[in-house]
Order: sequence, then structure tokens, then C-alpha cells
Amino acid sequence: MPDMKMKFLVVDDFSTMRRIVRNLLKELGFLNVDEAEDGVVALSKLTSEHFDFIVTDWNMPNMDGLTLLQNVRADPQLKHLPVLMITAEAKKENIVAAAQAGASGYIVKPFTAATMGEKLNKILEKLEREAA
Amino acid sequence: MSEFTGMEDLLQDFLVEATDLLSGVDNKLVELEKNPHDKGLLNDIFRGFHTIKGGAGFLSATELVTLCHLTENLFDKLRNGELGITAETMDAIMAATGTVREMFHALEQGVQPHAADAGLIARLKQVISGEQPVAAAEVAAAPAPRAASAAVAFTADGGALDWNAYYAAVTGKMPEVPPEAGKGIPQPPKPAEEIIHAAIGRRAADKPGYGGSAGRRESEKTRDNSIRVDTSRLDQVLNLSGEIGLTKNRLTSLRTEILGGMTGTETLQALDAAVGQLDLLVSDLQNAVMKTRMQPIGRLFQKYPRIARDLARNLGKEVELVLLGEETEIDKTMIEDLSDPIIHLIRNAVDHGVESPLERAAAGKPQKSEVRLEARQEGDHIVILVADDGHGMNAEKLRAKALAKGLISNEEANTMDERQSYNLVFLPGFSMASQVSDVSGRGVGMDVVRTNILKLNGSIEIKSELGKGTTFVISLPLTLAILPVLIVKLGEQPFAVPLSMVREILPIVPGEIQEVGGRATMVVRGEVLPVYPLNYLIDWPQEKASEYGVLMQTAEASFILAIDNFAGRDDAVIKSLEGFRPNGVSGVTTLANGHIVLILDVKELLAGLGDNRGVTRQRILPDELLAKAA
Repeated sequence: MPDMKMKFLVVDDFSTMRRIVRNLLKELGFLNVDEAEDGVVALSKLTSEHFDFIVTDWNMPNMDGLTLLQNVRADPQLKHLPVLMITAEAKKENIVAAAQAGASGYIVKPFTAATMGEKLNKILEKLEREAA
Repeated sequence: MSEFTGMEDLLQDFLVEATDLLSGVDNKLVELEKNPHDKGLLNDIFRGFHTIKGGAGFLSATELVTLCHLTENLFDKLRNGELGITAETMDAIMAATGTVREMFHALEQGVQPHAADAGLIARLKQVISGEQPVAAAEVAAAPAPRAASAAVAFTADGGALDWNAYYAAVTGKMPEVPPEAGKGIPQPPKPAEEIIHAAIGRRAADKPGYGGSAGRRESEKTRDNSIRVDTSRLDQVLNLSGEIGLTKNRLTSLRTEILGGMTGTETLQALDAAVGQLDLLVSDLQNAVMKTRMQPIGRLFQKYPRIARDLARNLGKEVELVLLGEETEIDKTMIEDLSDPIIHLIRNAVDHGVESPLERAAAGKPQKSEVRLEARQEGDHIVILVADDGHGMNAEKLRAKALAKGLISNEEANTMDERQSYNLVFLPGFSMASQVSDVSGRGVGMDVVRTNILKLNGSIEIKSELGKGTTFVISLPLTLAILPVLIVKLGEQPFAVPLSMVREILPIVPGEIQEVGGRATMVVRGEVLPVYPLNYLIDWPQEKASEYGVLMQTAEASFILAIDNFAGRDDAVIKSLEGFRPNGVSGVTTLANGHIVLILDVKELLAGLGDNRGVTRQRILPDELLAKAA
């Protein structure tokens, strides 16, 4: 059973999409959600506040999701954080690049709360297994 | 997507944000034509389509997703340098953005958009695949080995089983667009109206006719009724309402004291202070609330460069639309109502205002013409200019044409000055193009432009210089919610008329009223003006001779409104009459003393006179009344 109080950071430049993700998380019972509109803002939030989970878009101005992911993985303080990529990029290269950069999961838009719940649970289960 | 709650809200959000994005894309496309190799622009446009696609997916707008996906693929190739930008590419892209906008329009109506025109899809596919087949094939082949090795490396990494399953699902689900060598159907150039409608994504539903503020409010309901407001502005509203609450508490406690018999100087002074403070706070609050309705006009301007470009291209002209003062703020409802009039003015400037490159060269002007769209605030008015550097208007020709069309009489033509001659273009039935052009041919022309501007309590004026260019100057009030009015009286009954129409107030001396051609007139500084008594216009019995005249000016005419008395000016907060609009009444307002006052739509009242515009001297000054007055 995942901790329902865990704090999510939703990163997307499209506020409608942030709202969609936030609503989906709410449906799953996760209410502690903060938002950032690009990778740069996300990184600054990540270094100043505590988060448990990152859900990020790929294509964003200033800093894209892949670069954000790489930055997170390179930071000793943050590298353990699960990062779920949510994007409309469905090409092989993209998925492979995300996997290589260390994404914990990858969802192609559009998706439902069920899909997202399934993904989140898998990622969290894996984390728990690793922690145990 | 039935598992989705709050879908309507989401749709609204999406439309607001995606429409902005699309306008941004349109502008970047115009820029891209100038700098076809700008990577930043290509990236931005790619991201625009990509983001729209992502949002559209959640709304299950499959057709929108498909179209955005194709366009995105095209831009992917453009930004990777696999394809170069050609005129055909640009045309296909522009057509695609037009269709995307049409799809937004369908969504706005709550309808899933239909599939994009098959010709457009074929064109896009052809552009994507057709141009450099060799390069495209190379690229398609290249990533495969890399992907394979990565996949292997990834499985070796272990612990991500679902990932691999997903990987397979995804790559199987989303095949690359098959390269189609099929010929695109050459598209005939679109008529201007189609360009405009495609660009704005809706039909101009304007019909000439009167309608005061109240009428306008009704149509507002059917529109996009959400708005983006800067949170700092909302905070200000919140702060002020908090402070008003505190002041109200103070007043409540003072009331208790006063009712309890404490009416000493100190209490009364405290009351005075509290009321004074409330006064300030309320007017601050009104301003703050008004501010939340203000939007930068740039949001409206954004879509015009694209329209200007398409029109110019169609007409074989070179035109650059220069935008100035985009940060100028204006009431949101006005932004929407201005959209179509400005489109027509720009179209007019591109079509009739500026010359062809050949003509320009002959006149020693730079080949590329400039149309300037500028907004700025002047006092309590917003001024919007649409200026071209074309050949200017020929007053002589305008008069001749109006005469030929029977819109004016010979006599009128001879007495017109330049300004009046320019204004002839606003007459219904006047079209400057000798052939019926695609837009004005459908009953949407300059007369509608003016009607729409007048509906917003604004005015429009033309300045022109032969050989140098023409400028249309639109002047608008800052907001529609508050209307400065003059309170006039018939007996004891007050009425409000818009102050913007009032030029001056003068006493009516019975002896000065003359009958010219069966109409009562008065001469004011050499100008012969018709006199219309207010009681006659609203069909009230006349009890005494009018004592005052209000010299009023509309775009068409000046006249004197004869009244009994006046009570000064006021800032009226307009309330529309729900579901009921008597002829000649644009709304109601409440005076400081609590009286309800009708706001008169004077133009509508005058229109009610019909052809029988003449009011005899008898009507104004019946003998028995004259006798009574004397």
C-alpha cells in the first residue's frame, strides 16, 4: 500500500495537462501535489523542497523532461527519486532514450487514471522491493 | 473518457490555453517564412503542435490528434534538417493550422471535430515523405540498430519488465507514417473569406443593425466565458473586500452606538471617517474588479499577421503587418467584439489600401508595403489604429461613386468636405472594389465595421493622404460596464443619455426655432441642426415647451434633443433588462438617491422615426403651449 501522503511534483508547460495529471493523481488518492512549468523550475523546487515522486512531460521550453531526468539522476540528493515520464512521444528512440537516462516509467498520452495507477504501483512496488 | 470527471472545465481550460498556443504558432510561422532556418522557431512550433496533441488526446479528439501528429512529424523533420522549407511546405502547414483552429471551434461547440480534409492530409504526407526520399529513408533506417541494442542493454539491466512490455506495445501501436509517394492534389488558392474564417475559426455572424449594451450582453452569454486573470490582481480584490468587511464591522458597531443614543461629536466624526473610508475602498474595489476583466490586446493582435500574410499572398502583394502596443489592456468582451472589425480593416488595407509591388515601384516606394496595427491608451479611451502606406483615398472618386450608386444626392456631394467623403465608405451598399469581393459580397463590409464599433460606444474615423496612405482610427471607452451619462429630465422624470454623444447643452429660445423644409431646426454657430423633442421620440404628451436642447452627435449626424431640464452627469453602472428590451432603451441604472433611470439609446429612437424624420415647428412649439410659456 503506497503512502498516500507522498508528495508529487508534476512538470509540464501546458497547465491544462498539469491539471489533468493532478486530477488523475487525486482520483488515485494522492492529494499532495505541486507543479512546475519546466525543467528549470522543477529543479529549483526539487533542491529547495522535499518530494517523493516526479511526473514529468518530455517536451518543454527552457529544460525538457529528458534533461531534467538526467539532472535528477546526476544529483546525489535526488537520484533515488522515481521519475515517471508522461509524453506524447511514442517513438522508439524516445522511449529508449528515456530508459537509458533512468526513467522509472513511461506513459504515452492520452492515458486513464487506471493506466497511471498501474504504473505508479509498479514503480512503488519496485522501490519497496529494493528498500527491503 | 467517461471516467473523466469535470470534462467541461477541462475542455474550457484546454481551449483557452490551446488557442493561445495556436496563435503563437501562427505568428511564429509568419516569422519562419522570413527565417526558414531558425532552429528555435522550428522547435517552438513543433512543441506547440505536440502540446496541443497531448491535450487533445485526453479529450478523445482523435481527428485533432491525427492532424497535430502529422504536422508535428513534419516539423520534426524540418528541425532535424531532413526537410527544407519550401513554399508548398509552408502552404500545407498554414492549411493545417487553419484546420486545427476549425477543430477548436467544433470543440467550443461541444462537438468532436470531423476528420481533416483528405486533400490536406495527403498534402502533409506528401510533404513529409516526398521531398527528399533518400534522406528520409536513411533516417528511418538509422535509429533501428541503436534502438535494438538499447533494448537489449535495458533488459540486461533487469527489474523493469513492464517497461519492456510497454516498449513493444508502444512501438507496435504507433507505426511511423507510411511514406506515400501519391501526388498531392494541387489546391486552388483560397478565397479571402475562407482564409479569414479559417484563421479565426468561426463565421463572422455580424449583421448590421442596432443593439445597445444590453443587447450585446445577451450575445456574450453564448461565448467563451472563462478568463485568465493574473493572481496578483485577484489578491488585490481579496484584500480590498477584506478591508471593506472590516469597515462594515466598524459601521455596524457605530450604528449600535448611535441607535443607543450616543450621538456625540466623536461618534459622528467616527461615522464620517468610516463612511469616507468605505467610499475610497469601494471605488478601489470597483477598479480592481474592472482590472480583472482587462486583457492585453496583444492576445487579439496575435492572429492578424497570419491573416495579412495569407491575404497578401493571395493578392500577389508584399505586406508586412507591424504590431504596436500589444500590451495595451482592454475589456475582455471588447476584445472579442473587436476581432472581426479589425480583420475587415486589415483586409481592407491589404486589398484596397496598399498597391501592388509594380505600382509601388512606379511610385518610388519600397516594394514591400507596411500595414500598422497599433493600440494605445489615451486618457480614458483606447485608440486602435490600422494604418497602411498605400495610395490613400481619393475623396473625389468616393463622392462620384456614392453618387453613381444613388447613396447621396448631387447637392450633398457638392457640399462634402474630405472627411465626410471618406466616411462614405461606411454607408451600407458602398463597396470600393469595382467587382464584388469575397468578403463584402456577403454583406460584411465597412458599414458592419462601423456598426460594431458603435455598439461598443466607440467611434471610427478615417485619415488619408493621397499617395501616402490611409489610417482608420478606432476610439473606444476603457470599459463597457460603466457609462458616463448625462441625466436629462422630462418634467420630474429623469432619463440618461450617453455623455459620449453630448457636445453641448444650450437653452432653447422659442424664437430661434425655424422651420426648414417642414422640419424644426435651430442654427448653432452657422450650422442648421434638426430639433427632436424627447417627449416626441418616446411618445409622451407634451406639457410645456422644451427649455433646453442637448446638442448630440452620432457618426451620421448632429441634432438637438429638446428636453425640459437636466440634472448633471453621472457614471452609470449599466444593468441590462433581462429578457426584455423596449425599443430605444439600452439599459437601466440606479442614481445615488435610489431612483431607477432608463438609459436611452438615442440612435435607436431616431431610427424609429423612419423616413418621416421631419418634426414640424408646430410639434415642438404648439401655439397653446407657447401662449402658456409666455
